[in-house]
Amino acid sequence: MDATHLPEVTAAGVIIKAVLILAVIAAIAGFGTYIERKILAFMQRRYGPQHVGPYGLLQLAADGIKLFTKEDIIPQHANKIIFAVAPVITAATAFIALAAVPVFPDFTIPFIDVYVPSIASDINVGILFVLGMMAAGLYGPLLAGMAQANKWGIIGSARTAIQFLSYEVVTGLSILAPIMMVGSLSFVDFNDYQADGTWLVVYQPVAFILFLIAGFAETNRTPFDLLEHEAEIISGYVTEYSGMRWGLFFIGEYANMITIGVIASVVFLGGYNDFWIFPGWLMIIGKIAFSFFFMLWVRAAWPHVRPDQLMWLCWKVLMPLAVINVVITGIVIMLVQ
Amino acid sequence: MGLEQFKNRNVGTQNYKTLDLDHTPVTGMGQFKQVVSRTFKPELFVGLWVTFREMINALFRGKMHTTQYPFEKLPISPRYRAIHDMLRLLESGHYRCIGCGLCEKICISNCISMDTKYDENQRKEVSEYTINFGRCIFCGYCAEVCPELAIVHGSRYETASEQRASFSLFEDMLTPIDQLNLQQEYQGFGAISPNADENIKKTPLAY
Amino acid sequence: MSEVQTVENMVSITIDGVDYKAKEGEYILNAARANDIFIPAICYLTRCSPTLACRLCLVEADGKQVYSCNAKVKEGMEITVNTPDILAERRAMMEVYDVNHPLQCGVCDQSGECELQNYTLELGVDSQSYTIQDTKREATNWSSVLHYDPGLCIVCERCTTVCKDMIGDAAIKTTKRGGEALDKAWKDEMPKDAYAMWNKLQKSVIAPSNGTEHTNCSDCGECVAVCPVGALVSRDFVYTSNAWDLKRIPATCAHCSSGCQIYYETKPASIEDRTEKIFRVTNEWNYVSLCGAGRFGYDFENRTATKDTAAFTAAVEAFKKAKVINFNSVITNEEALMLQTLKEKLGVKLINREARAFQRFLGFYGEASGQSLYSLNFKEVMASDFVMSVGSSLRNDNPNARYAFNNVQKLNKGAGLYFHPVGDTLVPTFGKNIEMFAHKVGHEEAALLFIIKLFADQDKLPASVKEQLESDFVELLGGDTAKFEKGFDKMMKKKETFSLMVGEDLYFHEKAENLAKLIAVLESSSDVKVAMIPPKTNSLGVALICDLDDEAEGYTIGYNESGDFKLSALGDGDLDMPAMNQQEGTLTNMHKRVTPTNAALEYNGYVLNDIVREVASAPKETIMWTEHLPVSKGFKAVEFDSLPNHYTNDGVEHRGYLLESTSVEVEEISVDKFDDANALEGEIAYRCNPQRQFNDFSDKAHQIFEGFGLYASPTKAEALGSKVEVEFANGKLTLDVIVDERMEGDIVAIPDFKSAENIYELFAGSRYQTVTIKEV
Repeated sequence: MDATHLPEVTAAGVIIKAVLILAVIAAIAGFGTYIERKILAFMQRRYGPQHVGPYGLLQLAADGIKLFTKEDIIPQHANKIIFAVAPVITAATAFIALAAVPVFPDFTIPFIDVYVPSIASDINVGILFVLGMMAAGLYGPLLAGMAQANKWGIIGSARTAIQFLSYEVVTGLSILAPIMMVGSLSFVDFNDYQADGTWLVVYQPVAFILFLIAGFAETNRTPFDLLEHEAEIISGYVTEYSGMRWGLFFIGEYANMITIGVIASVVFLGGYNDFWIFPGWLMIIGKIAFSFFFMLWVRAAWPHVRPDQLMWLCWKVLMPLAVINVVITGIVIMLVQ
Repeated sequence: MGLEQFKNRNVGTQNYKTLDLDHTPVTGMGQFKQVVSRTFKPELFVGLWVTFREMINALFRGKMHTTQYPFEKLPISPRYRAIHDMLRLLESGHYRCIGCGLCEKICISNCISMDTKYDENQRKEVSEYTINFGRCIFCGYCAEVCPELAIVHGSRYETASEQRASFSLFEDMLTPIDQLNLQQEYQGFGAISPNADENIKKTPLAY
Repeated sequence: MSEVQTVENMVSITIDGVDYKAKEGEYILNAARANDIFIPAICYLTRCSPTLACRLCLVEADGKQVYSCNAKVKEGMEITVNTPDILAERRAMMEVYDVNHPLQCGVCDQSGECELQNYTLELGVDSQSYTIQDTKREATNWSSVLHYDPGLCIVCERCTTVCKDMIGDAAIKTTKRGGEALDKAWKDEMPKDAYAMWNKLQKSVIAPSNGTEHTNCSDCGECVAVCPVGALVSRDFVYTSNAWDLKRIPATCAHCSSGCQIYYETKPASIEDRTEKIFRVTNEWNYVSLCGAGRFGYDFENRTATKDTAAFTAAVEAFKKAKVINFNSVITNEEALMLQTLKEKLGVKLINREARAFQRFLGFYGEASGQSLYSLNFKEVMASDFVMSVGSSLRNDNPNARYAFNNVQKLNKGAGLYFHPVGDTLVPTFGKNIEMFAHKVGHEEAALLFIIKLFADQDKLPASVKEQLESDFVELLGGDTAKFEKGFDKMMKKKETFSLMVGEDLYFHEKAENLAKLIAVLESSSDVKVAMIPPKTNSLGVALICDLDDEAEGYTIGYNESGDFKLSALGDGDLDMPAMNQQEGTLTNMHKRVTPTNAALEYNGYVLNDIVREVASAPKETIMWTEHLPVSKGFKAVEFDSLPNHYTNDGVEHRGYLLESTSVEVEEISVDKFDDANALEGEIAYRCNPQRQFNDFSDKAHQIFEGFGLYASPTKAEALGSKVEVEFANGKLTLDVIVDERMEGDIVAIPDFKSAENIYELFAGSRYQTVTIKEV
């Protein structure tokens, strides 16, 4: 698509988009907990929540009320400021990252004629910004674990540091190959690159898999949920958290899951382009939904790994593969040109 | 005689499957092969398939495993030891308890107490009987020791109450007289063994 | 029994190949028991004659089968307890006992403490070979306290034996059951003894011996105690508790001076009321026999819920201004010592009428004889073979003295002389060789002189006595001289040990000093040894511990007695005190034994020790006084907690300790001349309690029914009418007339067990008073 044909991006449009992202994603992040419990339950042939509201749909509200009304406890020896700020960092970085991610195709609101862009802020280094923001999100768990004066928290922080930093490398390197192909860091350009219907995953299957694996690690999902692994370290960095502060970490985590889903969809799976008879907005929702479902599915199916296996996987398998993939991609691009 | 049979302490039919575990590779090449084989074998996908299949089973094939407890209840074993029942004689409807006090004596948590007296029919009458369920540990000794099969364990296992020490009186546990036809014999400790007749000798009678 | 018999001749016997020593003349069974060897036996009672009802005690002695309860040991005897034949006999007997025995062990009041059960298991009876049609036998109530279920009865006759040999009532006997006759075919099939036993068992059942439905007895309940099965139970106890639920508290009965060993058996009263309640009283019936008051008069406790501080402050104030403390003998040695301490520190006077009379009498006796205490205890009386009683209404004053009198007749082939103004129909039935003298009131000296004449060595007598012996005492005392002289020779045959029991009549006698001297003379000049019956529970202890006063005026504190400020264990005083079943402490009984008693029931109020601590000084606990009891009076400086309280298998009593008696040399005694004119004439009242009443506490107990009234013999009662006014020199009483079928003569008895009635005042220091009785 040619940028010149687009209507003017107004402040109202951006604000509407921002509110949309915040409201919808925050709600979806909460709703994700319901979905997760339901899916996991079904996969274990259970019902999951079903008594609060129809099909247990209002479980989210019940949990929300519970979290909001719970006593806010800050441990005696905790560093109170950092303890209070840490969950905000996690949630904030997760939502800030979404600012540069295209969630829906752009559209114009009828009657008031306000153009809502596909992306709140289509900065030309979008991918770098998103990856950077998500990387900054590591400060949430890190600071939380260190501030709470709890040994399990400290272990959680340590794991945060090694896991997030290590897999940042894999994420970066794996996504480098598509970037090289598209030649832009803007998500809109990625989307447009695949407008012909050929998804990037066809050219970059290895990069896709590597990105997906790293994405699990970045979002702290099973099988890489070592930061707060209950069986080993109680609750890791959230050991001392309760109430809404605890809730913020999980809104952040689910927002990150959506972000990863969006990036995977836009970068590798054809973005919000129309596909066959399906409109773009339906396609993107479907893709994000599937990636979200996939994360839950994996959690239901697979055991988690040991920390040493995690590091081993990162540095001995994934990182070399990513580098090789970049090199091969480079050679192919060079030869094609 | 060997001691092997004593060393085998597994109880049951011994119908176990042994897991076919690989040996841990020692050489670098071996380790590499293991990684490759694990990476390209679709084992991970088997896991995904199994969970997905179960979800399908649960949602569409009616194989949901959950019993929705307060609304649905599973049948319990007749030998289950829940809140006690006091049984009646089927013929006369009179309660079976003769007031011998053995349950009171054997009770290891000292929660049974009874008052007895000499009644107008020259029989021992149980004027009051209580079990303190705040103390009862449901060991079943009372049912086991009862010579009349009068005190037995029933199936009422929902014992949450507002008071920790909730007492139960004789009348509460006694089979309601209008439900005498529904009275079940207890099959747990204290019940008559199926071969009871073989274990006793006959006393001659002059009648 | 213990102390005197250790020197007896011992013989060597062999039981199952092991050598043992046994007392000569001992039954094999007792010898075995003393040596901790088990021989099965149901019907035998240690202090009674063998019944030979159960035949289980069959053993082989020197190759012959004998009943060990009935065969005496001989030097070198070889005894085998079990032989195959004997085991077959015993098993057959147990099977016979189990024939038709109701299978209601679950509800039976014996609740497992059943000898039938024990022996059935012991002898391995696991099947039944015999059978006969059962006879319908209905449970009945024999009296206000006795319940008999003949269905459970195995007719071991222990109840009839103890009633006859120990208690003396002989109120029950075996009678015809009216059952099916035994099939003669059994005779060839079963062992000989078992058949004989069964034959007798099948025919008999126990019933009141007076031929009616109800027993006419003293309701002592000893038959209930000895019953090996649940056939005899006290009516109040039937189906109320299992034996295993009851906590046994060893104690000493505090109703009379016998001070019998008892166990209070307690458990929470009911499901609603969790306070401990006494359900029954049991005893070591092989070694001690209780009376009705001891067995059934147990619920006299003072149920005070809290400490009443206001009343306590008032009590302390009252003690500070008190001039007199008026108390009775239902008190422990420790409390008596506290009162004595108060006397020494505060100068109060101590009044205790019965103990004072006894103290004076003991004092006179001591001066005359040189002995601080009387010579015999009542266990020794029981072991003698000629027993006499002067000055005591034996049936009413002290059950143990009566049992001793009876037991001497029954077991020692003994003889007895009973001197008392109030005639009695029971005492002569104790044995064939009993002579009863219903003498005139005031002729007690004559009775003693008569005994001196009969038994004393004339050469040892002081002149003042010797000169009085000329008169015809038999005639004087109301007997027939010719008949007596004939009978007396028979009575004296093969007699070795002689005992005399003296009672309360003498202590309250005008000529008490002279009587005491006569007793001393009797002892110094003959083989007769004397035992004294202390008038009330702990009169002996109080008499030894307290320095009692005769008269006192001023502000009075009454302890279970009347006074300006009243301490009472009955719950009706100004400050509550614990009753005897709520106290620990020691009692001094008539056996000259200091026995410990324990608290059976909780008591929440103040005790005397608390008051003594406030007004003088006292240790923390009442029982800390025990070791301070006066050693000079024969007590020992022993801590309460180290006092034993049990019997051993050979019947030796290990309860507390015996008082030490000291003796000094004395000069020749000079006695006053007996004056015939002292005899009382006219309508005479006698201060005497009915059989199971001793004090306010026995009266409070709900199973003691004997009321407060005028007791008279049947003929006298008829003459008096149903309600009378009795006029004394210093007051009058209106009383219901109650018939005592065992009284004889015209003297009426007025009880003193109600302290509120001030009977002692009316009788003015004597046990007999002339009165005017009018029907109202």
